[in-house]
Amino acid sequence: MSLYQLFGSLETGFIFGIVALGAYLTFQILDFPDLTVEGSFPLGAAVAAVLIVSVGINPWLATFAAGLAGFLAGFITALLNVRFKILHILAGILVAISLYSINLRIMGGPNKPLLGVDTVFTAFEGLGVRSYIVSPIFLGVFALCLKLALDLLLATGVGISMRAAGVNPAMAEANGVNVGNMKLLGVGLANFLTAIAGALFAQVFGAADAYMGIGVIIVGLASVIVGMSILPSRTIFLATIACIAGAILYRLAVAAALNAGFIGLHASDVQLVTAVLVAIALIAQHSGLPIRRLKRKGGGK
Amino acid sequence: MIRLADVHVTFNRGTPMETRALRGIDLHVPKGEFLTVIGSNGAGKSTCLNVIAGLCRAESGSVSVQGQNMTTWPVHRRARHLSRVFQDPKMGTCEDLTILENFALAHARTRPRGLRFAISRDMRDDAAERLRLLGLGLENRLGDKVGLLSGGQRQAVSLLMATTGETRVLLLDEHTAALDPKTGEFVLDLTKTLVRDLGLTAVMVTHSMVQALHTGGRTIMFHRGRIVFDAKGPERDRMQVADLLALFKREQGEELADDSLLLD
Repeated sequence: MSLYQLFGSLETGFIFGIVALGAYLTFQILDFPDLTVEGSFPLGAAVAAVLIVSVGINPWLATFAAGLAGFLAGFITALLNVRFKILHILAGILVAISLYSINLRIMGGPNKPLLGVDTVFTAFEGLGVRSYIVSPIFLGVFALCLKLALDLLLATGVGISMRAAGVNPAMAEANGVNVGNMKLLGVGLANFLTAIAGALFAQVFGAADAYMGIGVIIVGLASVIVGMSILPSRTIFLATIACIAGAILYRLAVAAALNAGFIGLHASDVQLVTAVLVAIALIAQHSGLPIRRLKRKGGGK
Repeated sequence: MIRLADVHVTFNRGTPMETRALRGIDLHVPKGEFLTVIGSNGAGKSTCLNVIAGLCRAESGSVSVQGQNMTTWPVHRRARHLSRVFQDPKMGTCEDLTILENFALAHARTRPRGLRFAISRDMRDDAAERLRLLGLGLENRLGDKVGLLSGGQRQAVSLLMATTGETRVLLLDEHTAALDPKTGEFVLDLTKTLVRDLGLTAVMVTHSMVQALHTGGRTIMFHRGRIVFDAKGPERDRMQVADLLALFKREQGEELADDSLLLD
């Protein structure tokens, strides 16, 4: 693997690390398997691209606005579940499907190029460092800031209420937690993070695309599973580190697999590889063989 | 303090499974009273507790606690006025949270939760001080996840959590039934002490007649969705399990034959 590819993996790794933080919040903390992200990732990209290119506003503001759009999408999914009792997975699919059409409307077509405009990365150009080094560093700092913000949130009164609502809703209610509201807030925040990631993705790669959401949820989930399987995640602080590290490891693994020509994999096989990886990880956990335990045994003492 | 007026609850209405769980319950538990509730399976005692807690909505009649009519309130809104300890020790605490975080959650029951840190120094000291009373050494394990504790320890912690803050009404749903006899006794003694020291109004549902008669100051018995007797004061103090069975037979004209009621 070349240095260039390594930095490329870090770049996408950090972006999907943000998606993984969202997946951690929904799947792990809230016990709410949320599929909205398939739509909110391209939604974030579309909103940011249109605001930057067509409206011409500050890219930072555009990125934040993309996050808000994502929050709204997640909020609607949770509302369909909490208020109207639609199965959470189905609610997520409904919103993701509708977002596909909405994204086409927002962009006025299947994609929106972001060429020759200022992005959040523009400020770091001309520092004498090559852009393929600058953007992973910037994204790393950005992802870590979001990680720390999430850690802090989960330590507040609202945060522990959210955690209790996911683990033991009956107990949370008995202690005055409005479990429905916690889902609205938590799923909203997870999609806020995912849309931010989508907005950054579009700015790094120079375009928003209606199809860029396909498989995002599985990549996010794979990152959480990989991270938590390999790293200790006793505390929230460690668990969120594991999410981001998992995303990077996952990207590196994918890059390595695609590089190894003898296996005969093409770039188009990524989704298949990811799905198989997630399935194996889940089967291993399900059969009472936590990957962590296997690794400890293999690792000697 | 707690007042139920003509409360009716029917499960599976309009189906062959229709069960009239509560048929016109009138109950007043004055401030500071410790009421014990007995009855066989399906008699309505747990449903009655659930109606007070909000898990089960009264179809007709009203439920009020501390003068607040809360007949239609959701569970979380009632939590400000009443706290609960569940039968299953796993239910009363949150296993993925630390002991201290569980306390913080209970602490916030009576005050708004905000974006401030859930855990403050005061709260840590307060939790440690209260846990010390248990003599289980839990005050040194504040950072441990509750999932690491035994059932009895978790139930003791649940009880402390339920009596944290300004809540004045305690609902206990067979909270010693899932514990071994020795631990059950420990938790029951702790319950008596806490209720007495904090001057709480408490309702305890139990399967054990002996426990019902020897705990608190008043005992009621449910049968087929109605309260079939209500004893307190000297009359209750003299009562033995045999008297209870005789009383039941006289009032209902039938033998109380149910293995689920512990007679010893």
